[in-house]
Amino acid sequence: MLGRYLSDLEKGDVFRPIEYEITPFMCSEYAHGTEETSEFFHSDRNPAGRQVRPPTMIHVDKMRILEENCDQEKRVAGMKGPDARVHYEYHAKHHSPAYVGERVVVSGHIVDKYMKRGRQYLWYYLEVRTSDGRLVTTYNDLTLLRYRHGEAQR
Amino acid sequence: MSARPVLNAGDELAGIVRVVTMNRIEWYDSAMLSAATNELRRVGSNIHTDIEFAKSEGFATANADGMIMTNWCSEMLVRAFGIDYLERGELRTKYIKPTNLGVEVHVRGRVREATAQPNGNTLYVIDVWCEDDHGVKTVDGDAKVEVARR
Repeated sequence: MLGRYLSDLEKGDVFRPIEYEITPFMCSEYAHGTEETSEFFHSDRNPAGRQVRPPTMIHVDKMRILEENCDQEKRVAGMKGPDARVHYEYHAKHHSPAYVGERVVVSGHIVDKYMKRGRQYLWYYLEVRTSDGRLVTTYNDLTLLRYRHGEAQR
Repeated sequence: MSARPVLNAGDELAGIVRVVTMNRIEWYDSAMLSAATNELRRVGSNIHTDIEFAKSEGFATANADGMIMTNWCSEMLVRAFGIDYLERGELRTKYIKPTNLGVEVHVRGRVREATAQPNGNTLYVIDVWCEDDHGVKTVDGDAKVEVARR
Protein backbone atom coordinates (compact mmCIF):
# COMPACT_ATOMS: atom_id res chain seq x y z
CA MET A 1 0.00 0.00 0.00
CA LEU A 2 1.37 3.36 -1.05
CA GLY A 3 1.08 6.48 1.07
CA ARG A 4 2.11 4.97 4.39
CA TYR A 5 5.27 3.31 5.77
CA LEU A 6 7.82 1.30 3.78
CA SER A 7 6.72 -1.79 5.63
CA ASP A 8 3.19 -1.26 4.24
CA LEU A 9 4.36 -1.62 0.65
CA GLU A 10 3.00 -4.72 -1.05
CA LYS A 11 3.76 -6.86 -4.07
CA GLY A 12 2.38 -5.15 -7.17
CA ASP A 13 2.40 -1.60 -5.79
CA VAL A 14 3.34 0.77 -8.61
CA PHE A 15 5.15 3.93 -7.55
CA ARG A 16 4.14 7.38 -8.67
CA PRO A 17 7.12 8.36 -10.88
CA ILE A 18 9.41 11.24 -10.04
CA GLU A 19 11.19 13.57 -12.43
CA TYR A 20 14.10 15.91 -11.81
CA GLU A 21 17.03 17.60 -13.52
CA ILE A 22 20.53 16.29 -12.81
CA THR A 23 22.73 19.10 -11.50
CA PRO A 24 26.53 19.34 -11.27
CA PHE A 25 26.18 19.62 -7.50
CA MET A 26 24.27 16.34 -7.14
CA CYS A 27 26.86 14.36 -9.08
CA SER A 28 29.94 15.96 -7.61
CA GLU A 29 28.66 15.92 -4.04
CA TYR A 30 27.62 12.28 -4.22
CA ALA A 31 30.98 11.28 -5.71
CA HIS A 32 32.80 13.38 -3.14
CA GLY A 33 30.91 11.59 -0.36
CA THR A 34 32.49 8.30 -1.39
CA GLU A 35 35.94 9.73 -2.20
CA GLU A 36 35.36 8.99 -5.88
CA THR A 37 37.75 11.35 -7.66
CA SER A 38 37.20 10.24 -11.26
CA GLU A 39 36.73 13.31 -13.44
CA PHE A 40 33.70 11.64 -15.04
CA PHE A 41 31.65 12.79 -12.06
CA HIS A 42 33.17 16.19 -11.33
CA SER A 43 33.50 18.02 -14.66
CA ASP A 44 33.21 17.66 -18.42
CA ARG A 45 36.98 17.09 -18.78
CA ASN A 46 36.66 13.35 -19.32
CA PRO A 47 36.28 10.96 -22.28
CA ALA A 48 32.50 11.41 -22.27
CA GLY A 49 32.91 15.17 -22.69
CA ARG A 50 30.12 15.81 -20.20
CA GLN A 51 29.77 15.47 -16.45
CA VAL A 52 28.25 12.07 -15.73
CA ARG A 53 25.82 11.06 -13.01
CA PRO A 54 27.50 8.37 -10.85
CA PRO A 55 25.66 5.14 -11.73
CA THR A 56 25.32 4.27 -8.06
CA MET A 57 23.07 7.32 -7.67
CA ILE A 58 20.25 4.94 -8.55
CA HIS A 59 20.16 4.40 -4.80
CA VAL A 60 19.44 8.11 -4.34
CA ASP A 61 16.62 7.67 -6.84
CA LYS A 62 15.26 4.90 -4.66
CA MET A 63 15.26 7.30 -1.69
CA ARG A 64 13.56 9.96 -3.82
CA ILE A 65 10.80 7.69 -5.08
CA LEU A 66 10.15 6.30 -1.61
CA GLU A 67 9.94 9.87 -0.33
CA GLU A 68 7.24 10.53 -2.94
CA ASN A 69 5.32 7.34 -2.24
CA CYS A 70 5.62 6.65 1.48
CA ASP A 71 4.08 9.73 3.09
CA GLN A 72 4.51 8.57 6.67
CA GLU A 73 8.17 7.61 6.34
CA LYS A 74 9.95 10.37 4.46
CA ARG A 75 13.49 9.39 5.37
CA VAL A 76 15.17 12.20 3.45
CA ALA A 77 13.04 14.65 5.40
CA GLY A 78 14.16 12.99 8.64
CA MET A 79 11.05 10.91 9.39
CA LYS A 80 11.41 7.37 10.70
CA GLY A 81 9.05 4.44 10.48
CA PRO A 82 8.08 2.01 13.23
CA ASP A 83 10.41 -0.67 11.88
CA ALA A 84 14.11 -0.57 11.18
CA ARG A 85 15.16 -1.83 7.77
CA VAL A 86 18.45 -2.97 6.30
CA HIS A 87 19.58 -2.74 2.68
CA TYR A 88 20.52 -6.27 1.60
CA GLU A 89 21.23 -6.28 -2.15
CA TYR A 90 22.03 -3.72 -4.84
CA HIS A 91 21.88 -4.70 -8.51
CA ALA A 92 22.16 -2.00 -11.17
CA LYS A 93 22.47 -2.44 -14.91
CA HIS A 94 23.70 0.56 -16.90
CA HIS A 95 22.11 1.04 -20.31
CA SER A 96 23.51 4.50 -20.98
CA PRO A 97 25.09 7.26 -18.89
CA ALA A 98 22.96 10.15 -17.68
CA TYR A 99 24.51 13.59 -17.86
CA VAL A 100 24.29 16.84 -15.97
CA GLY A 101 21.53 18.99 -17.41
CA GLU A 102 19.35 16.06 -18.44
CA ARG A 103 15.94 15.49 -16.91
CA VAL A 104 15.32 11.94 -15.75
CA VAL A 105 12.16 10.07 -14.84
CA VAL A 106 12.31 7.35 -12.20
CA SER A 107 9.55 4.75 -12.12
CA GLY A 108 9.19 1.39 -10.47
CA HIS A 109 7.17 -1.12 -8.54
CA ILE A 110 7.33 -3.74 -5.82
CA VAL A 111 8.21 -7.06 -7.45
CA ASP A 112 7.70 -9.17 -4.35
CA LYS A 113 7.47 -9.20 -0.59
CA TYR A 114 8.33 -12.48 1.05
CA MET A 115 9.59 -14.27 4.13
CA LYS A 116 12.82 -16.24 4.07
CA ARG A 117 14.37 -17.81 7.16
CA GLY A 118 12.09 -15.77 9.35
CA ARG A 119 13.03 -12.48 7.72
CA GLN A 120 10.78 -10.30 5.60
CA TYR A 121 12.20 -9.00 2.33
CA LEU A 122 10.98 -6.30 -0.01
CA TRP A 123 12.09 -6.48 -3.65
CA TYR A 124 12.03 -3.18 -5.54
CA TYR A 125 12.41 -2.72 -9.30
CA LEU A 126 13.27 0.77 -10.55
CA GLU A 127 13.92 2.16 -13.98
CA VAL A 128 15.53 5.48 -14.90
CA ARG A 129 14.95 7.07 -18.29
CA THR A 130 15.74 10.48 -19.64
CA SER A 131 12.62 12.59 -20.16
CA ASP A 132 12.87 11.86 -23.91
CA GLY A 133 12.76 8.12 -23.22
CA ARG A 134 16.38 6.88 -23.31
CA LEU A 135 16.89 4.02 -20.87
CA VAL A 136 19.62 4.85 -18.34
CA THR A 137 19.47 2.30 -15.54
CA THR A 138 17.45 -0.70 -14.46
CA TYR A 139 17.73 -1.60 -10.81
CA ASN A 140 16.71 -4.42 -8.51
CA ASP A 141 16.99 -3.95 -4.76
CA LEU A 142 16.34 -6.22 -1.82
CA THR A 143 15.67 -4.67 1.56
CA LEU A 144 15.18 -6.50 4.82
CA LEU A 145 12.10 -5.18 6.62
CA ARG A 146 11.06 -5.31 10.22
CA TYR A 147 14.60 -5.82 11.33
CA ARG A 148 14.62 -7.33 14.81
CA HIS A 149 17.08 -6.71 17.61
CA GLY A 150 20.13 -8.95 17.42
CA GLU A 151 19.47 -10.07 13.86
CA ALA A 152 22.58 -8.39 12.57
CA GLN A 153 24.76 -10.52 14.80
CA ARG A 154 23.62 -13.86 13.42
CA MET B 1 40.16 6.79 -16.98
CA SER B 2 40.33 5.88 -20.66
CA ALA B 3 42.03 2.55 -20.13
CA ARG B 4 41.19 -0.21 -22.60
CA PRO B 5 41.97 -3.26 -20.53
CA VAL B 6 43.11 -6.57 -21.86
CA LEU B 7 42.30 -8.93 -19.06
CA ASN B 8 42.10 -12.67 -18.74
CA ALA B 9 40.21 -15.00 -16.44
CA GLY B 10 41.92 -14.99 -13.05
CA ASP B 11 43.34 -11.48 -13.36
CA GLU B 12 42.79 -9.27 -10.33
CA LEU B 13 41.57 -5.67 -10.42
CA ALA B 14 43.18 -3.05 -8.23
CA GLY B 15 40.78 -2.19 -5.41
CA ILE B 16 41.23 0.33 -2.65
CA VAL B 17 41.86 -0.34 1.04
CA ARG B 18 40.05 2.04 3.39
CA VAL B 19 39.15 2.06 7.06
CA VAL B 20 35.52 2.71 8.00
CA THR B 21 35.74 5.89 10.03
CA MET B 22 32.91 8.01 11.40
CA ASN B 23 33.94 10.76 9.01
CA ARG B 24 33.56 8.43 6.02
CA ILE B 25 30.16 7.23 7.24
CA GLU B 26 28.94 10.80 7.68
CA TRP B 27 30.41 11.91 4.34
CA TYR B 28 28.37 9.28 2.54
CA ASP B 29 25.12 9.71 4.41
CA SER B 30 25.28 13.50 4.09
CA ALA B 31 26.17 13.26 0.39
CA MET B 32 23.23 10.94 -0.24
CA LEU B 33 20.86 13.45 1.36
CA SER B 34 22.48 16.34 -0.51
CA ALA B 35 22.17 14.54 -3.85
CA ALA B 36 18.54 13.73 -3.11
CA THR B 37 17.64 17.33 -2.30
CA ASN B 38 20.11 19.32 -4.43
CA GLU B 39 21.21 21.26 -1.37
CA LEU B 40 23.97 20.76 1.15
CA ARG B 41 22.64 18.55 3.94
CA ARG B 42 24.10 16.94 7.02
CA VAL B 43 22.97 13.54 8.25
CA GLY B 44 21.42 13.14 11.69
CA SER B 45 21.39 10.22 14.09
CA ASN B 46 20.93 6.73 12.69
CA ILE B 47 22.44 3.23 12.96
CA HIS B 48 25.37 4.39 10.84
CA THR B 49 26.25 7.59 12.65
CA ASP B 50 25.22 6.97 16.26
CA ILE B 51 26.93 4.15 18.19
CA GLU B 52 24.41 4.09 21.03
CA PHE B 53 21.44 4.12 18.67
CA ALA B 54 23.02 1.30 16.62
CA LYS B 55 23.44 -0.74 19.81
CA SER B 56 19.81 -0.09 20.76
CA GLU B 57 18.85 -1.58 17.38
CA GLY B 58 20.83 -4.76 18.00
CA PHE B 59 24.09 -3.96 16.25
CA ALA B 60 27.49 -4.32 17.92
CA THR B 61 28.33 -0.72 17.04
CA ALA B 62 27.73 1.85 14.30
CA ASN B 63 28.16 0.39 10.83
CA ALA B 64 28.76 1.72 7.36
CA ASP B 65 25.87 2.11 4.95
CA GLY B 66 26.31 -0.74 2.47
CA MET B 67 26.25 1.75 -0.36
CA ILE B 68 29.65 3.00 0.76
CA MET B 69 31.19 -0.36 -0.13
CA THR B 70 29.11 -0.57 -3.31
CA ASN B 71 30.52 2.80 -4.32
CA TRP B 72 34.05 1.64 -3.56
CA CYS B 73 33.46 -1.42 -5.76
CA SER B 74 32.07 0.83 -8.47
CA GLU B 75 35.15 3.05 -8.17
CA MET B 76 37.34 0.02 -8.89
CA LEU B 77 35.31 -0.71 -12.03
CA VAL B 78 35.46 2.92 -13.20
CA ARG B 79 39.24 2.79 -12.83
CA ALA B 80 39.51 -0.50 -14.71
CA PHE B 81 36.96 -0.01 -17.48
CA GLY B 82 36.20 3.73 -17.73
CA ILE B 83 33.39 4.74 -20.06
CA ASP B 84 32.66 1.11 -20.99
CA TYR B 85 31.52 0.46 -17.42
CA LEU B 86 29.35 3.59 -17.42
CA GLU B 87 27.78 2.75 -20.78
CA ARG B 88 27.45 -1.03 -20.56
CA GLY B 89 28.22 -2.13 -17.02
CA GLU B 90 26.36 -3.97 -14.33
CA LEU B 91 27.11 -4.30 -10.63
CA ARG B 92 25.50 -6.47 -7.97
CA THR B 93 26.51 -6.30 -4.33
CA LYS B 94 25.05 -8.22 -1.41
CA TYR B 95 25.71 -7.09 2.15
CA ILE B 96 26.33 -10.34 3.94
CA LYS B 97 27.68 -8.91 7.21
CA PRO B 98 27.55 -5.48 8.82
CA THR B 99 30.72 -3.52 8.08
CA ASN B 100 31.38 -1.96 11.43
CA LEU B 101 33.07 1.25 12.41
CA GLY B 102 36.84 0.70 12.48
CA VAL B 103 36.94 -2.17 10.00
CA GLU B 104 39.64 -2.04 7.32
CA VAL B 105 37.87 -2.74 4.04
CA HIS B 106 39.74 -4.36 1.17
CA VAL B 107 37.88 -4.04 -2.14
CA ARG B 108 38.65 -6.95 -4.44
CA GLY B 109 37.84 -7.93 -7.99
CA ARG B 110 38.84 -10.92 -10.08
CA VAL B 111 37.94 -11.65 -13.70
CA ARG B 112 35.86 -14.84 -13.89
CA GLU B 113 35.29 -14.86 -17.65
CA ALA B 114 36.46 -12.86 -20.64
CA THR B 115 34.44 -13.72 -23.73
CA ALA B 116 34.73 -12.33 -27.24
CA GLN B 117 31.37 -11.15 -28.57
CA PRO B 118 30.14 -11.45 -32.18
CA ASN B 119 30.36 -7.66 -32.56
CA GLY B 120 34.04 -7.68 -31.61
CA ASN B 121 33.48 -6.45 -28.08
CA THR B 122 34.70 -8.37 -25.02
CA LEU B 123 32.35 -9.26 -22.19
CA TYR B 124 34.00 -9.46 -18.81
CA VAL B 125 32.36 -11.16 -15.86
CA ILE B 126 34.05 -10.18 -12.62
CA ASP B 127 33.71 -11.44 -9.08
CA VAL B 128 33.58 -8.43 -6.81
CA TRP B 129 33.75 -8.45 -3.04
CA CYS B 130 34.89 -6.65 0.09
CA GLU B 131 36.71 -8.30 2.94
CA ASP B 132 38.09 -7.17 6.25
CA ASP B 133 41.75 -7.32 7.21
CA HIS B 134 41.24 -10.93 8.38
CA GLY B 135 39.97 -11.94 4.95
CA VAL B 136 36.34 -12.27 6.08
CA LYS B 137 33.90 -11.27 3.35
CA THR B 138 31.41 -8.58 4.30
CA VAL B 139 30.12 -7.80 0.81
CA ASP B 140 29.82 -10.29 -2.05
CA GLY B 141 28.87 -9.66 -5.64
CA ASP B 142 29.70 -9.62 -9.29
CA ALA B 143 29.90 -7.29 -12.25
CA LYS B 144 29.67 -7.44 -16.02
CA VAL B 145 31.27 -5.00 -18.41
CA GLU B 146 31.19 -5.15 -22.19
CA VAL B 147 34.30 -3.43 -23.45
CA ALA B 148 33.95 -1.98 -26.91
CA ARG B 149 36.34 -2.98 -29.66
CA ARG B 150 38.79 -0.15 -30.35
